[in-house]
Amino acid sequence: MRLNPLTAKKLRRFRSIRRGYFSFLLLCGLSLISLLGELLVNSRAIVVRYEGKWYFPTYGDIIPGTTFGFDYSYETNYRDLRDRFRQEGGDNWLLMPPIAFNPYENTPYEGVFKPAPPSWLGGPAGHLLGTDTTGRDIFARLFYGFRVAIFFALAFTVLTYLVGITIGCLMGFFGGKVDLFGQRLIEIWSNIPFLYTVIIIFSVIPATFTVPVRIFILLVILVLFSWTGMTYYMRTATYREKARDYTAAAIVLGAGTGRIIFNHILPNTISTIVTFIPFTVAAAITSITALDFLGFGLPPPTPSLGELLKQGTQTLTTAPWIVSSAFAALVFILTLVTFVGEAVREAFDPKKFTTYE
Amino acid sequence: MIASPNGSSPTARSSASASTPSTVDAPLLEIRGLKVHFPVKGGIFLRAKASCRAVDGIDLTIHPGETLGLVGESGCGKSTTGKAIVRLVEPTDGEILFQGRNLAEIPRRQLKPVRREIQMIFQDPAESLNSRHTVANILEEPFIIHGIGDAEFRRKKALELLERVGLTAAAADRFPFEFSGGQRQRIGIARAIALEPRLIICDEPVSALDVSIQSQVLNLLLDLQREMGLSYLFIAHDLAVVKHISDRVAVMYLGNIVEIAGADEIYRDPRHPYTRALLSAIPEPDPRRKRKRIVLSGDVPSPINPPPGCPFHTRCPHVQEQCRIQKPALRTTTEGHEVACHFDL
Ligand SMILES: Nc1ncnc2c1ncn2[C@@H]1O[C@H](COP(=O)(O)OP(=O)(O)OP(=O)(O)O)[C@@H](O)[C@H]1O
Ligand SMILES: [Mg+2]
Repeated sequence: MRLNPLTAKKLRRFRSIRRGYFSFLLLCGLSLISLLGELLVNSRAIVVRYEGKWYFPTYGDIIPGTTFGFDYSYETNYRDLRDRFRQEGGDNWLLMPPIAFNPYENTPYEGVFKPAPPSWLGGPAGHLLGTDTTGRDIFARLFYGFRVAIFFALAFTVLTYLVGITIGCLMGFFGGKVDLFGQRLIEIWSNIPFLYTVIIIFSVIPATFTVPVRIFILLVILVLFSWTGMTYYMRTATYREKARDYTAAAIVLGAGTGRIIFNHILPNTISTIVTFIPFTVAAAITSITALDFLGFGLPPPTPSLGELLKQGTQTLTTAPWIVSSAFAALVFILTLVTFVGEAVREAFDPKKFTTYE
Repeated sequence: MIASPNGSSPTARSSASASTPSTVDAPLLEIRGLKVHFPVKGGIFLRAKASCRAVDGIDLTIHPGETLGLVGESGCGKSTTGKAIVRLVEPTDGEILFQGRNLAEIPRRQLKPVRREIQMIFQDPAESLNSRHTVANILEEPFIIHGIGDAEFRRKKALELLERVGLTAAAADRFPFEFSGGQRQRIGIARAIALEPRLIICDEPVSALDVSIQSQVLNLLLDLQREMGLSYLFIAHDLAVVKHISDRVAVMYLGNIVEIAGADEIYRDPRHPYTRALLSAIPEPDPRRKRKRIVLSGDVPSPINPPPGCPFHTRCPHVQEQCRIQKPALRTTTEGHEVACHFDL
């Protein structure tokens, strides 16, 4: 099997657009790093060497303080443990992640009011970007907030496209009544006001639902209100491809509906869809941030950029580091995604590379 | 890349009278009163407002091993006729008898076995080959669809087919757009013969090609016909191309057949005024035999609102009162020559 030379050409072109390509690599790198986030930004040590035994607390159950000779049986505070080992000066040692805080803990400091300023502005040691109003490390919040946002946006994109492509393709392929009713239903559906629906649904979800379940419900609601856009494109694209002679040739050979859709029509329509993906991802990040900002997004205490922005606007004068770091992070991510989107569009633009000369 | 399977000049088919099949054979395909009307839709509920009579009651027969040429101006319903035979469009009325079975009535799902017997070659090979598939994929697809052989067998078949249409095995892993127009059409032909059909609908298979390679492709079609005993319905919009390849020629005008005769005969002795006009438009290389150019007045009427009576009466130089009222049926004038005209002109 050989890569379709047209695809290869597009990929070469994409790589040659430096800004977009590097943004793409950076985004992929950041996403991969964020998957290993527990090793980089965490309150648990990566390894502990204690009394001749090895411990790897990062993943798995909590290790009670008593294991390491503390007098409490809740989770060990590894930062305290590190300080103790240093004082003792024995063979025991541990390795903390570069940022030694998790996004949920609120660390109290004597004589420092929350929110604490960044360490280089006279705040407590270790908090690179300071803490938020409840004393949680902002870097950790941003880091995990990025992870949640990017993977939420990717899941959103996949689901939206799956639904939109399927329904649009069926409408275009079967045409006639299917298409007619589909279109009318979509018109009605897309007139339901999204924000009110979200508010209503969120007010009736019982608080007993766990955070992942609530995130999933939010995802489903967002997808339900977003798939219609893709059907417009898919419907016309399917109509167009279905009327072309290669589809006719497949029918004359005896190909069934499934083969025609999956082997012929979809491969010819999806190449354009690639160019929409970055913009959908950007839109998803924007809308999840906006929802969080309004308080109808990811359930607390999920780390989120929108939630930090909200805090930041309330403490604009007293703690400017909150809003500035959250804002900078959001702009940074959206800029990267947009650069990728521009490059993809330029490289894959079907007007530039027609399949048939 | 192209190894021309034959000499450069196309074999003049019509001179090989020995190959003209005897009419004693049972016809391979017999079309009776075929009509294809497309609904013309309008309004928000897309209700049919009128109908476009693309094919308006035609009779045709094709015998085994025979080539029937079908000619006519753009929009007269040639492609629609071809598409109706392979059920790319649904016939509105009439019978399409293939080896005794009426294809017009078989439910779509049960057509699959018949698909092996009737194939189609399209006008523009750039459109009829999926640009996402390699040539090998394209040629293996017929076997996959009909569940023939394993991957190894299909690959072998694909390479054989390529060789058969004059391409090298190196073509297999390339994509259609990496070939020239003539080579692409060879790939289209290879796909059409993959399942060893009996009948191939050739819808203007050379009109998208350079004149210089048209004859090579026509020769390939003739060679394949001889080797495989194929029958062709050869659609073209001018009589010049059809002359070389056809045994018989049918002339179509506005959804109707106006004249059918042997390829030689129709050139020598055209009887329908429309056929005469078409023939007079062919450039004649021999100046002494120059025909008088007949220029038709007016435009082809719309198939949505065809004229009553003879479909050609609005443009016919010999139009009479009867022509405006009564539609002439095809009638036999001499053996094997049928004309749809009220008069012996
Ligand atoms: N799917 C369709 N829906 C509606 N009308 C159609 C459809 N296909 C063809 N027609 C109409 O039927 C008539 C005959 O079309 P057809 O394609 O058979 O002509 P043709 O003889 O093949 O012409 P050409 O030489 O241009 O290929 C035309 O008027 C065309 O507009
Ligand atoms: Mg046509």
